[in-house]
Amino acid sequence: MGEGERREILTEPAALSPEPGREQSVGEVSGAAEAFGVRAGMSLSEALGRCPRLALIPPDPGRAAAEWERIVRALEGIGAEVESTRAGEAFFAVDGLRTLWGPRREDVLTKAARAIGRSARLAGAPNRFCAFAAASATRPRRGRRPLTVPPGGERDFLFPLSASLLDGRLRVDGGDGEGGRLVATLERLGVKTLGELAGLPRIAVADRFGALGLRAHDLASGIDTPLRPRRPHEELIQAIGLPEAAYGTQLERALELLIERLVADPRRNGRAIRSLRLEARLAGGGSWTAEAALRSASSSPERLRLALGPKLGGLAAPATTLALRALELAASGGIQPELADDPAAGRARRLAEAVRQVRAAAGRDSVLRVLDVDPESRIPERWATLAPVNEG
Amino acid sequence: MEQGAGSRERRTRGLYTPRAVHVHCCGSGVPQRVGGVPVEAVREEWLVEDRWWTPTPLRRRYLELILASGRCTVVFCDLAGGRWYEQR
Repeated sequence: MGEGERREILTEPAALSPEPGREQSVGEVSGAAEAFGVRAGMSLSEALGRCPRLALIPPDPGRAAAEWERIVRALEGIGAEVESTRAGEAFFAVDGLRTLWGPRREDVLTKAARAIGRSARLAGAPNRFCAFAAASATRPRRGRRPLTVPPGGERDFLFPLSASLLDGRLRVDGGDGEGGRLVATLERLGVKTLGELAGLPRIAVADRFGALGLRAHDLASGIDTPLRPRRPHEELIQAIGLPEAAYGTQLERALELLIERLVADPRRNGRAIRSLRLEARLAGGGSWTAEAALRSASSSPERLRLALGPKLGGLAAPATTLALRALELAASGGIQPELADDPAAGRARRLAEAVRQVRAAAGRDSVLRVLDVDPESRIPERWATLAPVNEG
Repeated sequence: MEQGAGSRERRTRGLYTPRAVHVHCCGSGVPQRVGGVPVEAVREEWLVEDRWWTPTPLRRRYLELILASGRCTVVFCDLAGGRWYEQR
């Protein structure tokens, strides 16, 4: 997406449309959409009811994940041990970094903001939920010092805040939906703030809401579980210097060597490679890169060579260095090819290809998907709408 | 992508949007002809009142009709403006 297009999206009411097969609620929303009262997680019918000219942007989870990975790596680059269970949200312990970037906690957060390199809401607090609440309350402004809640101050900070902050924070057994229902029930019972929830007898909360209620009570009281940071990823790259600027078959031979080295790299730890980037430094100055994504992750040198070989044809000048970087690895464990084609996967592949062909012939807007907006409505035009769809 | 084109392509499009239609009624308000085609029978009639809590409340008198051509259609009269629309 170009910068101009991005700006255009952010200045008009826009929201991420629901992913196929998921709950019919909108994702992140632009500031203009917020002005109409549209919020992330709101049902599609309500969002369109509040803002009929809301533009629905098809989500691109792969690209968002790649960009998020870049940000998490940037934080790991300053020494942070990052916990990130969802894109757009990262937690790390600040105190361990104070000797490096401090002395104050604000200094560490300022360093983190610089590392991220784009507008972000940052806040410091003694635990995860408190930091989330503090970050939600801030607006990113250039030059503004990040908000920090001192140790011991979490209850004073949390108590006046709305109990709706718990929505989406009560992941128990992998589900978020129950948290939303609990918050709605609390509001119906007149428990509007975190302080009011924390003030309820713990045994009564357990009796009425069970484990989920106890978790909510803990969070409202400023108690949260310890962070579980991920293990930083190692970057897999192999490079080879070419003393005499190489071209043609020499380069092909160099590529074969790089592939063999990459596949044999012990840091790969048995994981198959999903996408790669070929990088070359050119004899006349400058550099060249080409990326290749495999249809299915593989660690077969032959398949990698077939994917990368044709890319060498795009090299404009002899190269002095050739490097091969694994951009994405599959999860650990062997790849088990299917013995028989999965009919459903085959159908999905053919459908995605058909969508691409129709779009190529008749324009981007020629393939749309039907989104249920409010199927229970008594007004037929509110039942469903047509929205753009991502290519397979 | 061209400037301006992106937003146009991304805009949602309504389904089942009402289309204005000419309906000729008898004195009691029962449709006799829809778009020039005589009405054979009225299968069902119902009233929809919705969004009364908004500045643009909605009051419609719906009728499901069988036309002389054999087609089954749903029309409604917008009780605020008195105009007829065909839907579905």
